[in-house]
Amino acid sequence: MYQQTFSRSAPGCIVFLVDRSDSMQQHWAGSGLTLAQGAARAINKILLELCVKSTKEQGGALRCYFYVGIYGYGLCPSTGGEGVESALPGPLAARGIVPLPELADHPIAVREEPSVDAMPTRSKVPAWIDPHHGFRTPMCLAIATAGAHIYEWANAFPQSFPPIVINITDGMVTDSPYDGADLGGWAQRLTAIQTADGQALLFNIFLSPSPGSGVWFPATEANLPHPGPDLFSISSPLPKPMVDNARSAQIQVAPGARGFAFNADLAMLVKFLEIGTRFDVRDG
Amino acid sequence: MSQLQTVVFHEPKAGSTDEEWEDGAGHDPGDPTTGRAARCVVVDGATEAYDSIRWVGQLVDSFLGVQPAGSAPALARGAMDDWFGLMQDRWQQTAPTTFANIFEERKFREDGSFATLLGCEIHGLGGPRPHWSAVALGDTVLFHVRGARVLTQFPALTAEDFGLNPDGVFTQPSARDRMRTRLDHAHGRLAIGDRLFLATDAVAEWMVRVGRSDPDLLWPALGRLHHPAVFRQIVADRRRAGEMKNDDVTLMRVDITASDPDLLVVCR
Repeated sequence: MYQQTFSRSAPGCIVFLVDRSDSMQQHWAGSGLTLAQGAARAINKILLELCVKSTKEQGGALRCYFYVGIYGYGLCPSTGGEGVESALPGPLAARGIVPLPELADHPIAVREEPSVDAMPTRSKVPAWIDPHHGFRTPMCLAIATAGAHIYEWANAFPQSFPPIVINITDGMVTDSPYDGADLGGWAQRLTAIQTADGQALLFNIFLSPSPGSGVWFPATEANLPHPGPDLFSISSPLPKPMVDNARSAQIQVAPGARGFAFNADLAMLVKFLEIGTRFDVRDG
Repeated sequence: MSQLQTVVFHEPKAGSTDEEWEDGAGHDPGDPTTGRAARCVVVDGATEAYDSIRWVGQLVDSFLGVQPAGSAPALARGAMDDWFGLMQDRWQQTAPTTFANIFEERKFREDGSFATLLGCEIHGLGGPRPHWSAVALGDTVLFHVRGARVLTQFPALTAEDFGLNPDGVFTQPSARDRMRTRLDHAHGRLAIGDRLFLATDAVAEWMVRVGRSDPDLLWPALGRLHHPAVFRQIVADRRRAGEMKNDDVTLMRVDITASDPDLLVVCR
């Protein structure tokens, strides 16, 4: 289980759930950003890394190693109300989960940054999502919505590594129970979706606006303040490829570690996303 | 009088076309009249690297002294370091001036390309004491085999070591110090009937495993391998059995013989 590498014939699926509730407007200590801005920046960074990873040859198009979905919950910018909606740009939003090469072609902006290789040029950095915040935290509905889409995706790619859903939040769920199931129930339904390579993975990262020592990849809920134990309980155990990713990033993970981080700062968020989305590509 | 017979088998990843094979291999029979040693090289382009096929082709051609003509490096550390610099310069000089998109440009500037290298030189052919010397960066492996016995495996990786070795030849100048430091050397004496196998990581890992459990079966079988269709079938079977990872596969066999080949395989 969880052995499949990512390729054109067996692509992966990565879905981000982004809390867009009112509390995401809080400032993230030390970052100069709000939580919403930091989350958007981290997701844009990971999407850019996936696009670069999917680039192979000179003059060639991106290869489809990944499918991607992004769902915001809380404020829905398209309606101005509360709910869950795809945060993919423009025409892609209606489709839920899309091939990464299509997303690569639809950034909402391309900004310039100093080049990292000290060349007298500036790098162009695309962005696909903007920060938003408002209303409450309908996390159950977000998981239900994502689950419907990844169920279809898993049926279409039964040999692939199972879908990875990464939930980024700073708040307490406000819609549990929803439609007959509480947060744990919706998480169980989501992670019951599977491919031949294993069950879907649900990872959770709880952001904290205050500076402090975060906890990541714990193997126990002991000593986690509320709502840490709830989020820990719905987080999937880290499969071996991600344990290896964590260890190569010099992060010690105990047996039974789960894909969960608590009181994360921006650097932790980025590192967490990297560990959860870094895979061997074996084209084929 | 000793001479070489060389054959290369290769296979792309399952699901990829032959044109997408990102390893490289080549040999130069040398010239005993001028003292130029024979050379063999196998290079494994990293799947996630930028334009692996171009980088691999450049390394193979240059290691054999084909392009640029006369660029074949001596295997001493200093000479290899100079060659790494030459290769990086050439990569930059032949870089694209335009890119299809910002991702390609970023990949070229920030990641570049990367390949493992196993280069071997064979001296003394035609004389009484032929011998080989080799350099390696990464997990492409040379096996020096006599009968069903491995005299030398270079680098001496265990099956568990494959996939964990980050060494190779990088296009990025920032990696050059590490390449110089990590470059590994080995050598050995050859006898008529000996075989050298140069193998990229997926097949080398399998050879290490099977060579440990069943050497009397493995090495003679690989020595009798003549037709690429047979090799293709072996790779497909081992992949299906989960014994060989789905990666580009290259196996070069160098036979040390006393006579011309008694078999010529022509493939349609």
